Amino acid sequence: MAWETRNGRSYYYRSVRCGDEVHKVYVGSGELARIVHERDVISRAAEEHGRQEERRELERLEALCAPVLELSEAAEILTRAHLIAGGFRRHKGEWRRARIP
Amino acid sequence: MPESLERYRLPAEVQERLEELEELSEKAEEGDKEACRELKRAVRESAPAVIARASDVSRRAQHMLIETASGGSKLTQYALSGRLDVMREEIAGDNPTPLEVLLTEQVVSCWLWLTLFDVLNSAQFQRKFPDGAKRASPSYLRHMVKLQESAHRRFISSIQALARVRKLQAGTPGVQFNTQINLR
Repeated sequence: MAWETRNGRSYYYRSVRCGDEVHKVYVGSGELARIVHERDVISRAAEEHGRQEERRELERLEALCAPVLELSEAAEILTRAHLIAGGFRRHKGEWRRARIP
Repeated sequence: MPESLERYRLPAEVQERLEELEELSEKAEEGDKEACRELKRAVRESAPAVIARASDVSRRAQHMLIETASGGSKLTQYALSGRLDVMREEIAGDNPTPLEVLLTEQVVSCWLWLTLFDVLNSAQFQRKFPDGAKRASPSYLRHMVKLQESAHRRFISSIQALARVRKLQAGTPGVQFNTQINLR
């Protein structure tokens, strides 16, 4: 969103994305353009606020999952230790009882 | 992790024991006989305490997930707690070993985690959205689906781990079905 000044007069443009390209779209000038610009600023701030809320919510949910992940890793370590101590060996990803020499 | 969630983490001494067990397991797998002997001793002596602490923390983490999933409804909290108790009984079976208890807790935790994300995500994918409710952004949904997939993978692998431990500890060969089909 930008104002351009030519010959002492201000013109309001919006940047609109179409796929990979960004186009500059003329909105207007004068009082009407100023009102549209203010509305754009407000809606952009609301969008940013929404994004921040979502980021906070994701962080909260990730923090909730962290103990489960930590416990899963602990369970994996303990299972592996028990199996090896119990005389099992991994062969091509499959657990087998180790041969006794 | 926020400070309020610290009590749902494994204590430092448990982390140390786990690191020790992991290191010994790696050495033993590489054929180090001394490490293998040391691992057997560590599993016998320190593993039961580590398992007990991990199971305890797991239960506390489940409680925290229940509170989130229930959205403040006491009835839902009781229902979910009851459901987890039934699952624990069904999965652990009679006379489970301490390791089976821990793996059961892992299965139950992962189920709860998966259920939480199923509920949160399915609400976002409804065709008709409630009036006044705002649909989440695509990037938020992508992240949520990733977390749901991660929960699903963990859930499946926790079931596999429990089944593997039971099968190997029982010392019985896997069931094999041979089907003969005669073609004319």
